[in-house]
Amino acid sequence: MINPGYKNYQPLNSSATMAQSTIIEIINLAKTFKHAAEPAVNGINLSIYRNEIFGLLGPNGAGKTTTISILCGLFPPSGGKVLIDSQDLQQHLPSIKKIVGIVPQDIALYPTLTARENLEFYGHMYGLTGKLLKDRIEEWLKKLGLTESANRQVTTYSGGMKRRVNLIAGILHKPKILFLDEPTVGVDVQSRNVIIEHLKKINEEGTTIIYTSHHMEEAEHFCHRVSIIDHGKILTRGTPAELIENTPGADNLEKVFLHLTKRKLRD
Amino acid sequence: MISKLIATIKKETLLLLRDKVGLSILFLMPMILIFVMTLIQDAAFKTINEKGIPIIFVNNDHDSLGIMIEQGLRNNDLCSFNDSIDGKPATAEQAHKAVAEGRFLVGIVIPKGATDAIRRNVTQLVEETMDTSDSTVVQAGSAADSVEITLMIDPVAKKSFLNSVTSNLHEFISEVKTKIMFQTFSEQIAAVIPGKTETPKSAYQKSQIIRYKEIYASRSEEKIVPNAVQHNVPAWTIFAMFFIAIPLSSSIMKEKNEGSVFRLHTMPTPYLLLINGKIVVYVIVCMIQFLLMLSVGLYFLPMLGLPKLVLGSSYMGIFILTMATAFAATGYGVMVGTLAGTEHQAAILGSLSILLLSALGGIWVPSYVMPEVMRNISTWSPLNWSLSGFYKLFLRGGGMADILADALKLVAFFIATMAIASITNRIKRTY
Ligand SMILES: Nc1ncnc2c1ncn2[C@@H]1O[C@H](COP(=O)(O)OP(=O)(O)OP(=O)(O)O)[C@@H](O)[C@H]1O
Ligand SMILES: [Mg+2]
Repeated sequence: MINPGYKNYQPLNSSATMAQSTIIEIINLAKTFKHAAEPAVNGINLSIYRNEIFGLLGPNGAGKTTTISILCGLFPPSGGKVLIDSQDLQQHLPSIKKIVGIVPQDIALYPTLTARENLEFYGHMYGLTGKLLKDRIEEWLKKLGLTESANRQVTTYSGGMKRRVNLIAGILHKPKILFLDEPTVGVDVQSRNVIIEHLKKINEEGTTIIYTSHHMEEAEHFCHRVSIIDHGKILTRGTPAELIENTPGADNLEKVFLHLTKRKLRD
Repeated sequence: MISKLIATIKKETLLLLRDKVGLSILFLMPMILIFVMTLIQDAAFKTINEKGIPIIFVNNDHDSLGIMIEQGLRNNDLCSFNDSIDGKPATAEQAHKAVAEGRFLVGIVIPKGATDAIRRNVTQLVEETMDTSDSTVVQAGSAADSVEITLMIDPVAKKSFLNSVTSNLHEFISEVKTKIMFQTFSEQIAAVIPGKTETPKSAYQKSQIIRYKEIYASRSEEKIVPNAVQHNVPAWTIFAMFFIAIPLSSSIMKEKNEGSVFRLHTMPTPYLLLINGKIVVYVIVCMIQFLLMLSVGLYFLPMLGLPKLVLGSSYMGIFILTMATAFAATGYGVMVGTLAGTEHQAAILGSLSILLLSALGGIWVPSYVMPEVMRNISTWSPLNWSLSGFYKLFLRGGGMADILADALKLVAFFIATMAIASITNRIKRTY
């Protein structure tokens, strides 16, 4: 049903006796931006298990990107703390940054550089060099169907092609933890399936994935566990199946989502 | 770390090479500026420096005073001597009119009988001195003042520039007057005390008529009079080097807007490394600009019939000063890129501030022709530190020791801009 390719996964409620090894421990995390009236993140507690695909779902402005930004060390929280591999994130930032990869929500590439040049640069910034870097770039360009166009400037790419390059830039260094902030937004069905397939493979090879999306169907099939947040607070968490089961009248994740976050428009 | 820096340098170079507008700002604009400004200013500089200050001389005296002043003027390289207008000997009125029209910068009229007047005064003086009765008190100065030499000055001419010239003329003319007085005096004395004729004359011969002071006292063998090329080549090169602030700051802004900075902040690489990569690339760009402008001055301007750029003797000094200027310019670009909120702001803030700093710094108009107040303000512009350094090297044959202070000021400026940039980055954080 969910994630047929995922073998070792144990749903939460059936694993009371099985010790899930936690890779990210989020404790009372809070963030209020300068000059902001409301906190963007308001006391989040979460444990993310090693080797799972965890979905962070929520309407616009819920605090997903803010949470991810703190988790990957972009800025410190204003309250609470994060433990990664039992180490305090803020105290071990340089070493933790090496094992973390991020695929940002907004395309972060140099438009006047080619895809290959972009990837070479970002690969170097993660400490990769020489043949290893070259091979990884070629491997991923091929996997995501970009080999032909790799020597074109990114500015000439379609939105979907840019997304794919944006994705590769975050995974070249084989991170232990990968943050994906809406990796498939604006991507056609063909590309989406290819991207999701490869992400599943990366996960099977041992990478823990934290993923955000507005695409409920994709999340339902891609994630082992999800958490729905709004106004910087967690509304619920569990496997998609559990959440659907626990919501009266819901037969998919989207209905669960709407039930919890109501139909009001967000900013 | 080295491979990261190299990757950053490579990235920055590629970005710059693909930025055609930025490239043309960096290389084409200053070359055009040098050509245009030098050609425009050459005529003006030329009248003063190549041919000398144009002087119209009217000699109504036709005696020792007139002849000696004429000789002195003719023998001086700094003035171009004329005593006729339209082929005919000039009258005082004609000279006045010609100076007013700007055909000459200075006019000098020696009145009729000037020499005689001096002689008469001296004779009178001697007679009164010999006449032992002390009833008359004689003032030597007042006697000589009865000879009125007219000095006319083009009202349009830069006052400060001509000040030194006219004061030198005054000095020279009174020197000649004194000489004639002295001669007459010794002749009179000789008439009274026979046998003493030779001594005072030869004693006077030793003191030379004072020549005009040169505006630039060059220490090197070859004396260099400032010309349009010597000013414009270093001036616009410095201007161009500082103009990198615009592409550099826009590259910093772009990196922020395009999200690369976001990604880079999550990477195990300090942001400073990225900035260092930029600094390396843009300092190299500055050095290339410098070489390019230098070659314009050395090879292309002479092709247009302009004088060739003279470099002076200290290549080490030139290198150090250029490096210091390059760092100051790069630091300035980084500072503008951090202070500005958008690319648009960076471009406006960058170009306006550089125009202002360059005008103040004496790039457009050399600071030595500025009024006193502006000249003092001028010394606050980093472009002025660099330019005065290049003047020392190119015009006065200075070396390392002479430009060290200028270079250190530029390096200090670089450090200050980097400090401001890093503080601004901290303040500007929205989280
Ligand atoms: N740099 C910032 N400065 C001030 N407020 C911010 C900043 N970034 C985000 N916010 C605010 O914080 C809140 C959470 O934003 P965040 O980007 O985390 O939402 P999100 O869940 O990722 O939304 P979306 O699905 O639209 O991407 C919003 O109200 C947003 O306006
Ligand atoms: Mg977001």
